[in-house]
Amino acid sequence: MDAGSVEHLLHFVVDRLEVGILAVDTEMRVVLWNRFMAMHSGKPPEQVIGRNLFECFPELPQKWLEKKIRNVFLLRNYAFTSWEQRPYLFRFHHNRPITGGVDAMQQSCTFLPVKGDGDEVEHVCINVFDYTDTALYQHKLMAAIGELESEREEQKRLIKRLEEAQNQLLQSEKLASIGQLAAGVAHEINNPIGFVNSNLGALDRYVQDLLRLADAYGVAEDALAARPPEFQAVAQLKQQIEFDFLREDICSLIKESRDGLDRVKKIVQDLKDFSRVDSSQEWQWTDLNKCLESTLNVATNEIKHKAEVIKDFGALPEIECLPSQINQVFLNLLVNAAQAITGRGTITLASGHDGDWVWIAIADSGCGIAPEQIKRIFDPFYTTKPVGQGTGLGLSVSYNIVAKHGGRIEVDSLLGKGTTFRVWLPLRHETNEAVDASK
Amino acid sequence: MNAPLLTQDQKDALQEIANIGMGQAGASIAKVLDEFVQLSIPRVLFVPPEEIPVALALTIGEGQVSSVRQAFHGSMRGEALLVYGDQRCNDLADLMGYDGKLDHASELELLLDVSNVLAGACLGEIAKQLGMTIGFSAPSLMADAVPLESLLQAEALPWKTALLVEVNFRLEQRSFACHLVMLMPENEVAALAAALDRFLESF
Amino acid sequence: MARKMLIRALPPEWDIEITQAGSGREALDAYRAGRVDVMFLDLTMPEIDGYTVLETLRREDLNCLVIVVSADIQEKAQERVLDLGAIAFIKKPVDAAKVQAVLKDYGIIV
Repeated sequence: MDAGSVEHLLHFVVDRLEVGILAVDTEMRVVLWNRFMAMHSGKPPEQVIGRNLFECFPELPQKWLEKKIRNVFLLRNYAFTSWEQRPYLFRFHHNRPITGGVDAMQQSCTFLPVKGDGDEVEHVCINVFDYTDTALYQHKLMAAIGELESEREEQKRLIKRLEEAQNQLLQSEKLASIGQLAAGVAHEINNPIGFVNSNLGALDRYVQDLLRLADAYGVAEDALAARPPEFQAVAQLKQQIEFDFLREDICSLIKESRDGLDRVKKIVQDLKDFSRVDSSQEWQWTDLNKCLESTLNVATNEIKHKAEVIKDFGALPEIECLPSQINQVFLNLLVNAAQAITGRGTITLASGHDGDWVWIAIADSGCGIAPEQIKRIFDPFYTTKPVGQGTGLGLSVSYNIVAKHGGRIEVDSLLGKGTTFRVWLPLRHETNEAVDASK
Repeated sequence: MNAPLLTQDQKDALQEIANIGMGQAGASIAKVLDEFVQLSIPRVLFVPPEEIPVALALTIGEGQVSSVRQAFHGSMRGEALLVYGDQRCNDLADLMGYDGKLDHASELELLLDVSNVLAGACLGEIAKQLGMTIGFSAPSLMADAVPLESLLQAEALPWKTALLVEVNFRLEQRSFACHLVMLMPENEVAALAAALDRFLESF
Repeated sequence: MARKMLIRALPPEWDIEITQAGSGREALDAYRAGRVDVMFLDLTMPEIDGYTVLETLRREDLNCLVIVVSADIQEKAQERVLDLGAIAFIKKPVDAAKVQAVLKDYGIIV
């Protein structure tokens, strides 16, 4: 091929290539404008050639682009733009007008320094590549990756919840075995208490009899005109053992012992009620006031040194619940209330009912909870207590127990003033029945 | 590294050539920004790629890095990595024709553009001194503000050796620093070694 | 390496004694010891850079000719060193012909 036909071929290729090709001189005048540029811009070469690029396309970012082109003249080195950072240089329609998703042809451009006869760069040639398809694929890919990532996040969240559930399970198992132990101990204590109680009853009667006998002797003694000298010894003995005080005190001792024993019986009964090993996982109709009373007795040691307990119970209908678990909730809330109090304070227990719901409120005059902490208090392992005092599971377990009952826990707290937890429970346990019915 | 890929003489020659490359890059930056650029003594190191983060940590310090990669090809083939610290090169925005506050895309575009200038000037001059011609592909973003230690983890770099050139430019009013890493596969290092020998013989 | 390359670029017939300095401070020490008539000075050096060496020499009457040899080829760098009293700027890598031309211009060699 002769030089002429090679030049013709080159000219043809540059013009028809499916790539935008333009060139400017140092004055930013357009000296080359191929068909791709003409078709997409709607400006034929005769409207562009010889004119300033920025006059022809005022929408171009002149300050930045001119600097970029000047740098190519100056440095005699390639420069680039990428659709990823700058979606386009020239605003052209793209080949996906309908299915698009992008608003203009996405372009990556290369800036080529074109040297003249000497070493100086005389022109900068800009190649505009259509990257719309790539961009669309990339967008799809990014969307898919985004989806994958959110799925992974979801999985992470699920795994975390699973771990929480497992921890709660462990905790409730621990509580259950403590309950079992307590119930076993309670049962064992019940027997000796039974016979001590009945012995004490008999003892009371015998003592009364003996005292009556002693009284009869006294009357007989007084009736005698002359007292034999042996009575001198009896009188002496009476004085020595402070008989008058003894006969008074022995009765109150026995009475106090019987009262004490009654209290032991009550505590044992509360322990059994609290753990309900015999019927621990059965839904029962229960009076929550009684539940709270028996839990209060179990927790009395934790509370009595810290707070005065004020009871303001309203009449409650029985509700369907798992009593041992509800007791667990009350215990957690009572212990928390006591621990929130520094020095001495009050714990107010109240209850009431409203339509199909009953509520129990446990209010303390303690340190209160900061607003930013409130949303976290039901998180597992969240604790503000010193190491060893709390597992951080109490409220989380309580929350889940109440949720299982279809109820909710409301918290109202004022820093420095105290906190009120109000447990709302529905009268009937709907889900449970639905499950039962499906069996 | 096992057997040294370059002899001490070759390394010395490369250090000197890198100095010249740096001077060229500095002059280019000065032209582009129209400001006087203070050059520091360039530090040139040969390290296996896995030691690059450690070598960079010494001068960049802890914190996040961004990096750009640009392939070069021709009589010498490899990749240039340009690593920037927290500030990247945002200080140069107005000098590169950007107005107002940079959005994220513009920040990255500026990073690519400055990298292109630096790699083109520095490596172009090194190649020129060695009598080689090289061309460049478009630069692409490799890391957008990641911890230094994770910079090269995600990238399985097949390169056996890396020439690390610390570029530290100061302008009168502003500053930016950048590290330029030249990565080459083993067989390309042989071509480089031969070119360095020719360079040494020419004196 | 830079010094080796420079020494090889010096005219072989030039009858001189060469003192090498690894830093700006060493260069000033050699100058003050009276061992320097012509100084080839780099700009980027540890401790004291080339600009500071030039300034110091000028304060101390500049009894030697300074030719700056540097890779820092910014126009402003060249202007600065000439303003500071250097007689010439030679860019790296050193071209032996350029060195000879400068030396001849100043009548240092014939």
